[in-house]
Amino acid sequence: MTTDHVQRPPAEVRHADELARLRATDDGDRPPGWALSLRAARRFVIGDEKLGVTRKFVGDPSLIDRALVTLATSRGLMLVGEPGTAKSLLSELLAAAVSGTSTLTIQGGAATTEDQIRYSWNYALLVAEGPSPRSLVAAPLLRGMAEGRVVRFEEITRCPLEVQDCLLSPLSDRVLAIPELTGPDAMVFAREGFSVIATANTRDRGVNEMSAALKRRFNFETVFPIADFDTELSLVEAEAAALLKRSGVGAPPRRDVLEVLVRAFRELRQGQTARGDATDRLSGVMSTAEAVSVAHAVGLRGWFLRGEPGTAADLVTCLAGTAAKDSPDDLAKLRRYLERQGSGPLYEARHLLPG
Amino acid sequence: MTATFIGVRHHSPACARLVADTIIALRPAYVLVEGPADMNPRIGELLLGHDLPIAVYTGYRDAERRHGSWAPLCDYSPEWTALTAGRDAGAQLRFIDLPAWHPALAEVRNRYADAEARYAEVTERLCAAFAVDNADALWDHLFEIEPADGLAERLAAYFDLVRGDARPAADDVAREAYMAHWIRAAVADAGDRPVVVVTGGFHRPALVRLAEEGDRSWPELPEPPGGAVVGSYLVPYSFRRLDAFDGYQSGMPSPAYYQHLWESGPREAARRLTEAVTTRLRARRQQVSTADLIAAGATAEGLAAVRGHVCPARADVLDGLASALVSEALETPLPWATGGRIRPGGHPVIVEMVAALSGDRVGRLHPSTPLPPLVHAVADRLRAMGLDGSGEIRLDLRKDADLERSRLLHRLRVLAIPGVVRDSGPHPAGDPVPAEQWTLTDSDDRMPALIEAGGYGVDPGEAAAALLAERVSGPPADLDVLAGLLFDAALCGVGELTGRVLDDLARAVRAAADLGSLGRTLNVVLAMWRHDGLFHTGGGPAFGTLIAAAVDRALWLAEGVRGGPAPADPRRIEAMAAVRDALTHAATPLGLDVAAALGVADRVAAFSDAPPDLRGAAFGLGWSLRGTAAADPGRAVRGTFTPALAGDWLAGLFALAREEVLHTPGMLELLDELVEAMTDDDFLIALPALRQAFAYFPPRERHLIAARLVALRAGGASGPDLMRLDATPELVAAGMTLDERVDTVLRREGLITS
Repeated sequence: MTTDHVQRPPAEVRHADELARLRATDDGDRPPGWALSLRAARRFVIGDEKLGVTRKFVGDPSLIDRALVTLATSRGLMLVGEPGTAKSLLSELLAAAVSGTSTLTIQGGAATTEDQIRYSWNYALLVAEGPSPRSLVAAPLLRGMAEGRVVRFEEITRCPLEVQDCLLSPLSDRVLAIPELTGPDAMVFAREGFSVIATANTRDRGVNEMSAALKRRFNFETVFPIADFDTELSLVEAEAAALLKRSGVGAPPRRDVLEVLVRAFRELRQGQTARGDATDRLSGVMSTAEAVSVAHAVGLRGWFLRGEPGTAADLVTCLAGTAAKDSPDDLAKLRRYLERQGSGPLYEARHLLPG
Repeated sequence: MTATFIGVRHHSPACARLVADTIIALRPAYVLVEGPADMNPRIGELLLGHDLPIAVYTGYRDAERRHGSWAPLCDYSPEWTALTAGRDAGAQLRFIDLPAWHPALAEVRNRYADAEARYAEVTERLCAAFAVDNADALWDHLFEIEPADGLAERLAAYFDLVRGDARPAADDVAREAYMAHWIRAAVADAGDRPVVVVTGGFHRPALVRLAEEGDRSWPELPEPPGGAVVGSYLVPYSFRRLDAFDGYQSGMPSPAYYQHLWESGPREAARRLTEAVTTRLRARRQQVSTADLIAAGATAEGLAAVRGHVCPARADVLDGLASALVSEALETPLPWATGGRIRPGGHPVIVEMVAALSGDRVGRLHPSTPLPPLVHAVADRLRAMGLDGSGEIRLDLRKDADLERSRLLHRLRVLAIPGVVRDSGPHPAGDPVPAEQWTLTDSDDRMPALIEAGGYGVDPGEAAAALLAERVSGPPADLDVLAGLLFDAALCGVGELTGRVLDDLARAVRAAADLGSLGRTLNVVLAMWRHDGLFHTGGGPAFGTLIAAAVDRALWLAEGVRGGPAPADPRRIEAMAAVRDALTHAATPLGLDVAAALGVADRVAAFSDAPPDLRGAAFGLGWSLRGTAAADPGRAVRGTFTPALAGDWLAGLFALAREEVLHTPGMLELLDELVEAMTDDDFLIALPALRQAFAYFPPRERHLIAARLVALRAGGASGPDLMRLDATPELVAAGMTLDERVDTVLRREGLITS
């Protein structure tokens, strides 16, 4: 695949050189079917300065350990957490490290069908030749099993229950039946290296609750928002600066504005101020990713409207659209939050909150 | 011969083993142990044959300072194995650290906490380099799980690195100088026989350096300042308490796990940990299937392999269990990954896992150990105050002697000493009554309870303070519990503790979500602040801050309550009344912002989405604080007088401003007119809430209202005359129904209009 003009190449392409270096120096035992040893895969995610491998995921190292070990066992890995906690990024990185490819992806949604998960047919061939391996169109699950690779299932709880349950026999018996075919082709047995990483966000909990049978076949790992203020701040700063540069903004974001932004996001996310006072928790998503996009918007406003870095006033204007979205309740909570500040740049600009 | 320095982590099985092996191999003349030097003459007491864990408790009291600290010992403490192995090898045993009362240890509650925790920067870097979550996992990774060869060198390298260039605090410098003095003297005295020094690893590099040169005579034992009361003695201890220290005072966590590790090695410890968690969960009827356990075991083994452990370590087992047993999203991060106290909102499975790690082993002292001084102290005090024996006691708290007696009894009650029961007296929710009634029964159960309580302090006051302090720092409690603790602290006359409870309470108040319990807390605190003469709390500034915070928070919560019509909530109304009391009595001395409060009250009163009782209460709050109503009260009453809302709204109003209602001309007449105008059906709907509303008037005022109404409506007749009726109620009801039917028919036919 050529990386030119691709907006976002997959992880194994983005970090191809790092994967190559890791593979070259990898002397650990590899679980059957894996592209890297467990330890090398771990270094790929949490970084290794000596090898020039960057840190790609901010979080407890033990989470990565558990996730990798789960993939080496017979259970699937389920990443759960608030929206925007980098679950999908983590699943992509893990798949790239374990199988060398992260593109066997099923995007869950209300309209996802079994065809998109297991297999479908090339109907022209099917009519002409009848069912045969040639007329079979393999979907990610079938390919993952046949090739012994990790299959990613994004937002699994957005799928209807009966569609989710087609994972049951691949995960427990490690076999997928294709009743239309006969002979040895009728059963696809999973090769070593096959596993499933599913992600689900806790906001969608209860939309399509998973069946107990399926839950039992997954190990759950909760991905938390970044716990440390400074880490989150520098992440937002780096990401926002990169985005602004790409958008042609000449001034980097102001550190003090970003501080105010990150603090406000953390407080509204946790429903607790830094001092310990409880405040309202917004029902909208207050993730680090959202903070980055707000910081981006703030920078754009400041630069293209006035030719300077964004200010706290820009921040308040942008907050309404990103944090409160279309919920009047959240807007009211946000107003209350700003009113309660009592002083500081957010308080000064509180009247700019629209509505 | 020079000394052999072993730098240890307190409560580390690996270090304990190293210490024992070294002493057996060297057969030293002296074994010097980091511990209170004033216990040296009584080391024999320690070796009587107790069931561990036990602790050396030191209590100190002088005019300004009170201090209690523990030096806990368990089977796998390096200090303990140093003592036992040293005794078996025939060595002289000496504690070489400053006594626990010494000012250098004034901040220390747990002598065997990790000193290096205060200098965390290096450990953070090490954790990042080894890719582990925290210092505990790092320790297991480097020392507990690894085979023992080369342990001494690894420990020394680790602690040299941790100590690094860290500039130790003055307290540590003083302790190290004193310990080094002992070492020099022992080395000089031992001649060519070896000396083994067992101290916290953080001190080792400094001690090695300091032991080279200096005075070689035996050091003096520091004398406590004149007038100070000091006592050190052995007390039974428990794993739960060992695990309960927090912050810088916590040492190694999870005593039950390390006990198993010490007894039977890491593989068996992992097995027992899994077993304990499973048993606990199954006892709680949580599903733990065999498949889950297999998955947990496989994950743990896998994690151990990834992390380079020969067999699963503590975090590997826990991670494995958490992966396999928790099949939903967690609310809070795993406690062993973040370290520190378990936070509220923990998953039940995780909570049980942490409890299993902590264990429930309780130590017991050998029968010939001298009794803790608390036992004697309590007996002496009871006798001196005439409270020994059984019977009922009535105390008048306004008398100093009785107040002292009350405090003693409360301290015993808090310590859960059997046979001390209070029948009546001041109560957090009620008005402060200055009298108490107690029932005392002498029983044989008292002695064991006192021995156990002896672990908390030398005299009842100190012990009660320590126990209450432990409760305060225990699992996060809700407001009601904290307010109860604060009240207990006041009843026990424990001054300095109220400060800590107040801090915690202030934190809880600022995060409170329930207006009702916040109001109750505000009531307690306000009562204690106002009735300082009864509680002798000192009425310090902390109370003021707390009251201000509670008022602020209550108003903030009140403004956030919405949802329209709902039945009146008496607790919510009480809370608003508490706010009014605080603003009335404490606004000036505490500088509360009355204007802001009035602003909130007016907004809530005018906010149609707020529940009616709260709107009424807010209206009453404004009225009562200003003395005049902000809006015309007549219009306000008319505005809410629908059958479903009237009673609830009035309940709020009457609770906060009944005086104002009574003394405003025309109010009663207006209410009468509005009730009169209701149809019978409407009246029946409104009646229960109206009854509740008028219950906020005390009987005397209700009588006054009744008298005025009678005067208004019945001319000269007296109230009692009106109440008397010769007919039976059934007949009256039937008559009224008939009237109603006739009226309905007349109205239908257009013969009457109203």
